[in-house]
Amino acid sequence: MKVLTVAKTDVPALLEAIAAQRRLIAPIEDRMGTSFGEVSDPAAVRLDYRNTHLSSKEVVFPQCETLLRFRDDEAEDALSEERETVLFGVRPCDARALSLLDRVFTWDGLDDPYYLRRRQGTIVVALACREPGPACFCTSVGGAPAGEAGADVLATDLGDRLLLQAVRERGDALLEDAGVGEAASDADVEAAKQAAESAEALLASVKAPTDLERLRATFDSDVWSELAMGCLGCGACTYSCPTCHCFDITDETRKGVGKRVRSWDTCAFPLFTLHGSGHNPRPAKDARLRQRILHKFLYCPENFGEVFCVGCGRCISNCPTGIDLRRILERLEQLVSAA
Amino acid sequence: MTQKTKAKTGGANGWEPRIAAFLCNWCSYAGADLAGVSRIQYPPNVRVIRVPCSGRINPLFIVKAIQGGMDGVLVSGCHPGDCHYISGNLYARRKFALMKNLLEYVGIEPERVHFSWVSAAEGVRFAEVLTKVIESVREVGPATRMIKEFEAVP
Amino acid sequence: MSELQGILRREVAKLLEEGTVDLFVGYVDADLPLKTSVRFLRSPEEAEALVWNASCTSNPAALLPPLFRRPEGLRGEWTPPRVGILAKGCVSRSVVGLINARQVPRDSLYILGIGCDGVIDRHRVMQRLGVAELAEASVEDGNVTVRATDGTAQTLELVEALYAGCRVCRHHAAVIADATIGGEPAPSDDETRYADVEAFSERSSEERWMAFMEEISRCVRCYACREACPNCYCNECFADETAPKWIGVTTDPADLAFFHIGRAYHQAGRCVDCGACVAACPQGIDLRLLNQKVNQDVAVLFGGEASVSLEEPEPLCQFAMEDDQGFMTEP
Repeated sequence: MKVLTVAKTDVPALLEAIAAQRRLIAPIEDRMGTSFGEVSDPAAVRLDYRNTHLSSKEVVFPQCETLLRFRDDEAEDALSEERETVLFGVRPCDARALSLLDRVFTWDGLDDPYYLRRRQGTIVVALACREPGPACFCTSVGGAPAGEAGADVLATDLGDRLLLQAVRERGDALLEDAGVGEAASDADVEAAKQAAESAEALLASVKAPTDLERLRATFDSDVWSELAMGCLGCGACTYSCPTCHCFDITDETRKGVGKRVRSWDTCAFPLFTLHGSGHNPRPAKDARLRQRILHKFLYCPENFGEVFCVGCGRCISNCPTGIDLRRILERLEQLVSAA
Repeated sequence: MTQKTKAKTGGANGWEPRIAAFLCNWCSYAGADLAGVSRIQYPPNVRVIRVPCSGRINPLFIVKAIQGGMDGVLVSGCHPGDCHYISGNLYARRKFALMKNLLEYVGIEPERVHFSWVSAAEGVRFAEVLTKVIESVREVGPATRMIKEFEAVP
Repeated sequence: MSELQGILRREVAKLLEEGTVDLFVGYVDADLPLKTSVRFLRSPEEAEALVWNASCTSNPAALLPPLFRRPEGLRGEWTPPRVGILAKGCVSRSVVGLINARQVPRDSLYILGIGCDGVIDRHRVMQRLGVAELAEASVEDGNVTVRATDGTAQTLELVEALYAGCRVCRHHAAVIADATIGGEPAPSDDETRYADVEAFSERSSEERWMAFMEEISRCVRCYACREACPNCYCNECFADETAPKWIGVTTDPADLAFFHIGRAYHQAGRCVDCGACVAACPQGIDLRLLNQKVNQDVAVLFGGEASVSLEEPEPLCQFAMEDDQGFMTEP
């Protein structure tokens, strides 16, 4: 597997080489800081950010996508066209989240063609973190600032150059095709390791509950009412989360012509579980917050053996009323260990 | 391409403004009816929706009509002081002033959104108002802003 | 500020101790730069955590209505809790709005008014200083100091960092209160109250349409703006209705336009320019540009101001025979 260095001054050339053959999606500056966008001008790419305000899941799981189109009795599939995409500069937390989403969208042999069409065409170049953001806690949930999960190439910023390490075949092929950079020295590889270790040392540790049985036993506890009091029931946390994947399917029609669309949804909305009868099994905020947390920290571990949180901290930064997942986890751990 | 789209791009070839008119039952609708029985001629570009009172009209109806591709919207009620329900039109006047201004502000051409008072006895006036509305919409051409497509891929 | 903070903590501890309130909602520190969390306190000891500073941005009045709705499925007697709320000017106006709308009972509220000098708009700080994220920031001596990812520090005068609405605020102190702490800061200069709206209005229709669509194109329909707003208490929002279906659930531009026009419009005569929606939006959409247009029209056309008094009906709950008719079509 290739291990290359590319001088920072050559990075635009690298990106251009990539963009020449594939669609390039990378972090670009926007009103809110940085977000992922399709890049036409490599000079617009920024690699000096902590994290984007929304995650990169949009690339494989967009806010909305058409599943099928229909006219009267005829319908046609609306699978997106096959398109090779390079997702460049995602943080390892977001890359790891993609590998978690892969589990959901291929669960039990039920392969989601819409997700897979996008995912299979996406080559992921992750950019290791040198400094955690104020809300980061990846190491507390099985991640790492230089983690390779979900990535095809892992890049590390070494100051004046980028180290690029191919992690998977596709990453190797990408670096080959780009034809930019030179073989990395052992010193470079060591410097990257040091950077990873320094970054890890800067991360605060959050004690998250891992005893699943005890966590399940909190279901009827009053702690959920206490924790949910500040919750507005909006979707800011869910929509910025790289592992949240719930969706709604609706038909939009006019006079027999229309489309069936899938769009993001959140268990935080009361509407999420509202029955046609008017009954709602999760009528109040406490049940909805409980659902969101237990889904990530209990039900997904049971279903997939993985906690569905990568510690990116966006839910914490984006919550309008300042609900902090780290405090929720600590509170739960406190409750669980006292039991 | 839908039928409607074809007609819209017709331009000189045949585009005609499509206007939705929300008329209050007691005054404006009756006025329109009077125009009809009096054989007063006016262009046929309007689709009438009868409502009990202009105060019943949810300003979002106007937005919905525009989103649905109507080139213009008219809302018409009783003159102030004459409302069958006493004050419905007076609340409506406030609501519509705000909606008209907001729509214009975000860039929906003001020539597309109209409000009027037409009484049951004003058949001639109804035709005049409508003619003015239609001509005003004709000047700005087919509506293109905020139309919801049902066939395009998001 | 810290003296006032101390007074606040003592007052709230007393309220909880004496049982004047069952719950008190205020702000506590969040572990993030320039951010606070909303916290509901039940015991006097918790009052020590309360803070009062320029990062107290959200509007806790938005969390009041659910407290006064009878829990679903509960049988037998239920009395609503007695809730205390820390109310800066705009928050107190939101409370007035909610009382006027019969969403919260006046008798069950204890409003602790506090004079406010304005709150920081984090998006504005990031824009002004050209920083992508607030990795580290603090407020000292009337300045906001921000450390960028490369370690360099930059400062911005606090007054420049404030939310636009705060800089033209007429109601720094609570308009309704059971008790007040802190002084009454003087109303701000409001000559520039509608400057942004006026500037926007100068542009051509085409430009405004393009700018409007561009601004809202980032929306992901998370509804943070709606939920953060105390005025959005409807059991079923028009955006969620399926019968009739006003709009779809996606980010179709026509639907985004409808949602934002609809939401701004529904605020007519009720928006107090607290900035909670702007602060809540994870995409940094300038919602104030829409809300203030409606606020301006309400002020200019009807001489109305939202939610300043329990005696006065809201502007759209009243009419005058001489209301402006200039917008109407005459043949």
